[in-house]
Amino acid sequence: MSRIGVFVCHCGENISRTVDVEQVAAAAGNIPGVAFSCDYKYMCSDPGQNLLKKAIAEHNLTGVVVAACSPRMHEKTFRKAAGAAGLNPYVCEMANIREHCSWVHENREMATAKASDIVHLMVERVKKGKSLAPITVPVTKKALVIGGGIAGIQAALDIADAGHQVLVVEREPSIGGHMAQLSETFPTLDCSQCIMTPKMVDVANHPNITLYSYSEIEKVEGYIGNFQVTVRKKARSVDESKCTGCGVCIAKCPKKKIPNEFDQGHGMRSAIYVPFPQAVPNTPVIDRENCTMFQSGKCGVCAKVCGPGAVDYQQEDTLTVESIGAIVVATGFKLYSIDRKPEGSMIQGYGEFGYGTIPDIVDGMTFERLASASGPTGGKILRPSDGKEPKQIVFIQCVGSRAREKGISYCSKICCMYTAKHTMLYHHKVHDGQAYVFFMDARTPGKGYDEFWRRAVEEEEAVYIRGMVSRMYQKGDKIIVMGSDTLVGVQVEIEADMVVLATAVQPQEGADLLAQKLGISYDKYNFYSEAHAKLKPVECATAGIYLAGACQGPKDIPDTVSQASAAAAKVMTLFAKDQLERDPVVAKVNEKYCVGCFACKKVCPYGAIEEKEIKDRQGNVVKVIAYVNPGVCGGCGTCQATCPSKTVELDGYTDEQIMAMIETL
Amino acid sequence: MTPKKRLNYSYYPGCSLHASGREYDISTRALFKALGLGLKEVPDWFCCGATPAHNVDELLSLSLCAKNLKMAEEVEGDLAVACAACFSRLKHAQHKITHDETRRRQVETAIDGPADVKKPVKHILEILAREVGLAKLEENVKKPLLGLKVACYYGCLLTRPPEVPELDDCEDPSIMEDILRALGAEPVQWSHRMECCGANFTLSRPGVVMKLSNAILDSAQFAKADCIMVACPLCHGNLDIRQESIENKNQASYELPIFYFTQLVALALGVPSTDLGFDSVIIDPRPLLREKQLI
Repeated sequence: MSRIGVFVCHCGENISRTVDVEQVAAAAGNIPGVAFSCDYKYMCSDPGQNLLKKAIAEHNLTGVVVAACSPRMHEKTFRKAAGAAGLNPYVCEMANIREHCSWVHENREMATAKASDIVHLMVERVKKGKSLAPITVPVTKKALVIGGGIAGIQAALDIADAGHQVLVVEREPSIGGHMAQLSETFPTLDCSQCIMTPKMVDVANHPNITLYSYSEIEKVEGYIGNFQVTVRKKARSVDESKCTGCGVCIAKCPKKKIPNEFDQGHGMRSAIYVPFPQAVPNTPVIDRENCTMFQSGKCGVCAKVCGPGAVDYQQEDTLTVESIGAIVVATGFKLYSIDRKPEGSMIQGYGEFGYGTIPDIVDGMTFERLASASGPTGGKILRPSDGKEPKQIVFIQCVGSRAREKGISYCSKICCMYTAKHTMLYHHKVHDGQAYVFFMDARTPGKGYDEFWRRAVEEEEAVYIRGMVSRMYQKGDKIIVMGSDTLVGVQVEIEADMVVLATAVQPQEGADLLAQKLGISYDKYNFYSEAHAKLKPVECATAGIYLAGACQGPKDIPDTVSQASAAAAKVMTLFAKDQLERDPVVAKVNEKYCVGCFACKKVCPYGAIEEKEIKDRQGNVVKVIAYVNPGVCGGCGTCQATCPSKTVELDGYTDEQIMAMIETL
Repeated sequence: MTPKKRLNYSYYPGCSLHASGREYDISTRALFKALGLGLKEVPDWFCCGATPAHNVDELLSLSLCAKNLKMAEEVEGDLAVACAACFSRLKHAQHKITHDETRRRQVETAIDGPADVKKPVKHILEILAREVGLAKLEENVKKPLLGLKVACYYGCLLTRPPEVPELDDCEDPSIMEDILRALGAEPVQWSHRMECCGANFTLSRPGVVMKLSNAILDSAQFAKADCIMVACPLCHGNLDIRQESIENKNQASYELPIFYFTQLVALALGVPSTDLGFDSVIIDPRPLLREKQLI
């Protein structure tokens, strides 16, 4: 005979405002099999939990129903309390009378009746419930970091320093990401390369880090602690084990006029190249589309001049499978390239700004390269069209950001600060020049940030104009910028020599495809979704996968580094134990009755169903049936609903339990 | 070959096309005839209200358009509109009445009946580029407009606001250029495609028009255009009728013929130039067309 205890919570006034909790507790007391019922103002508080523990001991309870909030909120709390009192935690269930009842109803009488019904259902379910033991799965203590920008580098170094193996996979030929492209960084104006390149070298030299550059994620299988990740190493056409990085091939390559992506297309590179001199690894890659050897079969200069014989035109992509315990996704961002509306995109273009047709209108990243000592102009601010120094320069903020009518409603967060920085860099290099900034708001929260922006305005003579630009066009060698000054209430027209657009931050190309491989969710802009906006900012809803940096939303360097370290800490927490405990709410197959139709296998979204051979004593296979891998099972119950012979059941949600609930209604 | 069903359109010319912009009307009819498209004027149509109505009373403006749209329901085919202002007002009214329940009820009281405004309203540019299709236009070219450098001028109303006309990219359209390229002409890249010409201020504050239209003419000349192509009778008026006084005031010399796009398309499709109203404009385009051996 069951002896169930029912504990009804007021949740302050959240529940008791619309539900007569005393009546619910009293009604529960009359359900057959209920040995004890009571109500309390805050059941989750210490006294509330003690009430539950005491009742379990005093009334010798065999099961517990807590009528309170959603199980997502406090199921763990009460199961822990029940466990502490000696009860199996899995015979403690929540009856959700807050989200499902008091919050959504107004009529007190009807809400009270509904709350009583919900409690009754759960009592019946608990009566038929079984004691369950947590499942343990082994943890592979090796982390995968996807993306080798500052986020990935920070996360990888932190995990590796803790003594765990880390695999870093970077799509480009070198790690470093966008930070390696920057000239100087706000709010201290320290040189980006100077603080970034040592970290890149640390990654290359760390004994616990394996670096796969010029590689992409092909496939991800498995589950927390036990992922199987297939990595595609793209053919570099240079054998990494032989190459010494001497650079003779690059010097001798006859094809040298290819726009360098690292310099936003403004500098030139050869067909065999490293993206920038400080690249890690310092191993060149052949850009096959632009290589004469690959296009016409005639050249082969790099192979001839290579002393160690590292150039290999026959090299092919290779696939490597790695066992991984946790994944940090750090794929970063790209800047919105504004032109016409891309096909099938919800985002409109900015054709009215002449971007792409007027050469001296550039984006923020191009300006970084122009201002960088390692950039195509050697750090001189020279405009692309004729190499002249611009004496009037206009910066435009919020291009694409905070523009709902253009398709992006979010703030890109970094532009106010980097534009202020750009005006300073410009002022330091072009003493007789004048910088103008069109802005909507100056959003500069952060340590030392507002002071930095004020410095641009007050000391570095940037003229800030509050308003937006409507149109720009070329007139002679000037760019006419037509805008409005909304503080003065006039239309302004500036004859500029050069214009820099702070275009919106967007997730990297292919972010959605990677998310689909990983099984993580993303928003309509393709930014990856964290599990909880406030309380789980680095975890994905998919267990064992964590987020770092701008792939989750626009972020500056300090925020990115903080989040990367937080993600690394989460990985270390996971790796701190050899075994991982999981909720035992998983499906089980009754081997006696399973006929091996595998209808369940077809519908399982987790790929948890395996084929199991049943053998007789002689070792002959008698039949092949379904087996649910408890480590992979997500506990969704789809197999249970599908199974024609009712032989697969989800623990905690058995047919018997569900039927008992339905019968009470 | 199975004979294709003839496309028929109902037609709302608007006041200008019966008066100062009659060459727009003439060339539109000639163009439709050349393309084998049916065009039937909505009987008894009246003014859409244009700028004055919606500036004074939105309900008046919506009701005028609703009544016109309702009458158009009686004529077969989607409603073809040439004038940019009529197009803008009709589309706007349709959008407002469909999306704003309160406004719809007010309009229904005003016009004393249901506001059935579902008939698709289409600008003739849209009909040419999307329904006839650029490929078919190109196929039917009898006299390619080779060597003619044209500044395509959209003005304010044709594509704005972004959610209403659904004609093209609101700030960076290309529909006129696409059509011209199909005809063999050479659209120039220029800066003032979308700027305002001064519009109605031509009567009340001509100084504004002198300034704004001058910027447009200046920019077209800077881009080395032979002529400007428009889709709005008011723009045409300001750029054509006022051109000489603009030149005098700004000590400039433009002599830029202003075409309606219907005139150039019809010309390329082989309609005789005498049927396109070239004689009823101020800046005579015929010397240019002769120079380019198009007439």
